[in-house]
Amino acid sequence: MTPQDIDWGAVAAPLVLAVGALVVLVTDAFAGPPRSRRAALVPATLTVVTVLVAAGFAVRLWDQTRSTFCIVRPLDGPAPCSFVVDRFTLVFWAITLFGTAVVALIGTVAVAEGRTPLGEWNFLLLCSATGALTLAGSRDLVTLVVALEVVSLPAFAMTGLRGGDAKAAEAAVKFFLVSVISTAVMLMGVSLVYGATGSVFLQQVDSALAGGIEARQVAVAGTLLTVVGLAFKVAAVPFHMWVPDTYVGAPVAVAAYLSVVSKAAGFAGLILVLTYGLRSFADVWAPVVAVLAALTMTVGNVLALRQRHAIRLLAWSSVAQAGYILVPFAAAASSGRAVGASMGYLAIYAVVNLSAFAVAAVVGTRYPAQRLTDYRGLVRDEPGAGWPLAFALVALAGLPPGVVGLLAKVVVLDAVAGHATWLAVVMAVNVAIGLVYYARWLAELFRPGEVEGASRYDVPNGVGVAIGMTFTAGLVFSVFPGWLLDPVLAALG
Amino acid sequence: MSAWLLNGLVAIPFAFAVLTRVVGRREAPAVGLAVVGGVVTFGWSVWAWVDASAALDGSHVDRPWIAEIGVHWHLGLDGISGPLVLMSTLVVALCLVSLVRHDPGCGGRADLASLLLLIEAGVLGSFLALDLVLFFAFFEVALIPMWFVITGWGDHHDEPGRRRAATRFLVFTVLGSALMLVGFLVVRSEAGTFDIVQIAATYRPSGAAGVTGALLVALGLAVKTPLWPLHIWLPDAHSKAPTVGSVVLAAVLLKLGTYGFVRFWLPVADPSWRLLAPFVAGFAVVGIVYAALACLAQTDLKRLIAYSSVGHMGFVVLAVATFTVGGVQAAVYASVAHGLITGLLFFLAGAIKDRYGTGDLAGITVLYGKVPRLAALFAFAAMASLGLPGLAGFWGEMLAIRSAVYAGSGLPVATYTVLAVIAALGVILTSAYFLQLLRGMLQGAPAAVRPVNEDVASIELVTAEVDPGTAMAGPLRADVDRMEWLTWSPLVVLTLLLGVAPGLLLGPVSTAAEAFFGGLG
Repeated sequence: MTPQDIDWGAVAAPLVLAVGALVVLVTDAFAGPPRSRRAALVPATLTVVTVLVAAGFAVRLWDQTRSTFCIVRPLDGPAPCSFVVDRFTLVFWAITLFGTAVVALIGTVAVAEGRTPLGEWNFLLLCSATGALTLAGSRDLVTLVVALEVVSLPAFAMTGLRGGDAKAAEAAVKFFLVSVISTAVMLMGVSLVYGATGSVFLQQVDSALAGGIEARQVAVAGTLLTVVGLAFKVAAVPFHMWVPDTYVGAPVAVAAYLSVVSKAAGFAGLILVLTYGLRSFADVWAPVVAVLAALTMTVGNVLALRQRHAIRLLAWSSVAQAGYILVPFAAAASSGRAVGASMGYLAIYAVVNLSAFAVAAVVGTRYPAQRLTDYRGLVRDEPGAGWPLAFALVALAGLPPGVVGLLAKVVVLDAVAGHATWLAVVMAVNVAIGLVYYARWLAELFRPGEVEGASRYDVPNGVGVAIGMTFTAGLVFSVFPGWLLDPVLAALG
Repeated sequence: MSAWLLNGLVAIPFAFAVLTRVVGRREAPAVGLAVVGGVVTFGWSVWAWVDASAALDGSHVDRPWIAEIGVHWHLGLDGISGPLVLMSTLVVALCLVSLVRHDPGCGGRADLASLLLLIEAGVLGSFLALDLVLFFAFFEVALIPMWFVITGWGDHHDEPGRRRAATRFLVFTVLGSALMLVGFLVVRSEAGTFDIVQIAATYRPSGAAGVTGALLVALGLAVKTPLWPLHIWLPDAHSKAPTVGSVVLAAVLLKLGTYGFVRFWLPVADPSWRLLAPFVAGFAVVGIVYAALACLAQTDLKRLIAYSSVGHMGFVVLAVATFTVGGVQAAVYASVAHGLITGLLFFLAGAIKDRYGTGDLAGITVLYGKVPRLAALFAFAAMASLGLPGLAGFWGEMLAIRSAVYAGSGLPVATYTVLAVIAALGVILTSAYFLQLLRGMLQGAPAAVRPVNEDVASIELVTAEVDPGTAMAGPLRADVDRMEWLTWSPLVVLTLLLGVAPGLLLGPVSTAAEAFFGGLG
């Protein structure tokens, strides 16, 4: 091996987040416990600034593909690389960075409460986001697994960081155990794939499988185990059991993070492994994923019907939404670009779901019990929070005025209609089921409160910005959906 | 025609909806603003109609919306959509005018008016859309506002009932439209475009995918129209909604389904499929008979009118399923006529319900004696609805039956002839329940028999008019007021006009249909 050059431009964004994480930690250590509410906002501010700097580095890479950490002078074929920044990577970076910034802002609700050490919390958030960025760029199985762990490990800690909160600790342990098991299963699958193909690089795995290999059964087993491992991460049924308890036990900001950034990382891993590495096995995994998708959305929606707890409802709804995101994989065998629809859905889901969680965080400051009836009269009393939540709910349900949510469903259905029409029909039925619970919540928002002004809140500034960001993004993309969907759908080129 | 005329038709009601909402704190000016919005939209649609040619001439709005999957912002107005656009803008404008004087209860008239304008924007967008996905998107725009109208201003006596009705309406419609969307996308994977003009000109559906696509589109539209047996959301939604909600639902929203059948189902279906077109026509005819029988058994006025809508929609779908220009004419004609007549019927039913506080037919009698003008108007609307020659309702049903007798090439002639005969039977049943209604509601209860004097064993017939126990004994109620005349007279005049001069509508429709469908028989 000869020493090689590292393309610092390509790795700049994850590096910036990692450095930013350290800065947040050190600043917090030297500053000591915050003396005022303003001082308590410093970590979140630093996080947002770090994200902006990282985004600045990332934006410049849009028109090019950069590779680094490559094998120099390989024996045959093109040089495989461990880290590639292409449009696929950048789309996930955009989702991750946007999500991280919004979650950091939602995290500021904890300031008033004063039980969460926000310096450490933001440090963990940035660490986890570093893993998510690395994951989207990784092109070999080892980097991918390590990056996935970097996403998860800080998230366990974030879940349980609130002092004196037994439920949060329980949620963290539950999440930790499930995650460890899924990693183990996935490692098993990855090692079988490696054993069968002789390479960890996705590119070489792909060409080995396409060329036909002796140990086909081993590779198939490896494929299925890898899918199962990643299915835990994206909370696909039947690997979803941890979701409701963890979301409810964790602080709302962490639930938002798990449902958007962590889930996006899982999907990035799934897309990388399945469509980059195991493309020629699409006839094996596409039907499996199709069944998973159908189960996930049906179970998610049906169980969400019974929920009266807002976060638990969002948890089940996010399970159902994961099912929708899985749908285009079913068509991957016949059309390689189909999975682009998953990315489009994920991007839209990220925006509107974060909006819903941001408002839930605000309401949670007064009603920690998070009953749906606690949202009564929100639109009239606190329009700045009520309208964005109403918009987010109709967008999640896929109805105008949340046009962006409607188009997300169009894009996903478009990918499978004609290829796996049965799945499209299942999804259509599910969209109708999902409406029932979103409509129930929506009705609470618009029902006049029993006491006028009972739902008036002192919205923390940071959360206000988070709500504003997501709401504006949702509205803009509803009018000009092409601005978001055109580049995202074209990313898989 | 100019792009801004078409875009304006969607943008104006939307803009007025937002404005109304913004000034909503002061109710009277807000409602006034909404009325202005409704009238301006109506005027605008007349202008657009005058400016448009009967056939789509290629000069419509067409620009990429989501370029990556080929969705276009593609709008156009022709002889098929034009009459429905005019009817919708008129009916919504009249609904808004009726809100000026009439408070549907629980306040918030400004919000209600704003929602009606939003619904109008969505409906007009659907009528104008020439792109499959755009049609679907506009189709959905009206749903959430309508859901709010029913949950917020519906039947005051039955809050859980109206919520249930609203949610059922929402879920059924969304299920239908989602299936329709899947159908559209299957069609797209076959035809390669979302452009319905191009699909109508070049797409020849075939194979399993073609059948699946057409079947899913039909299923989706069948929920919206509604076609028996998917109509079960309709009676509740119509009867629990406030008066203006029922009017808009029946006159305007149902037309999205029938228009969808004409514009978006005919081009993607093939008449030679033995298992599709005859079945659609068959369900339509079952719906006609079923609705008529159900009407005979109804005890609630609004439910009765709602069921009668199911029957009328059956005629429309039967006409569409004949795959002929005559069928398209009949479908558009019957849709417009139903919009005018059932709109009027629901207005009148609302007025009666306000005066009596109930929609129960047992409690409403002798309207001729108490509110003669209102009763006369109701008799007029009912006669129009049952298809009295000389009024608008006649031509739609007559033409539908005629088109079924002369069904398009490739369709089983014998089956369609039988269906036409059954449908004609349905017309008679329709007359039966409307006449029963007129007799029971307007003319009073049948004479009660009771002994006048217990000493004398003689039995005397006592008419309801002198019976102190019946409704006649109560105070006289207000007859039709000026505002109501203003609201209802356009519908009455148009019903008469279209009944006397059906050519006004049939001409442009046939020009447009021939241009749009090309090879249609």
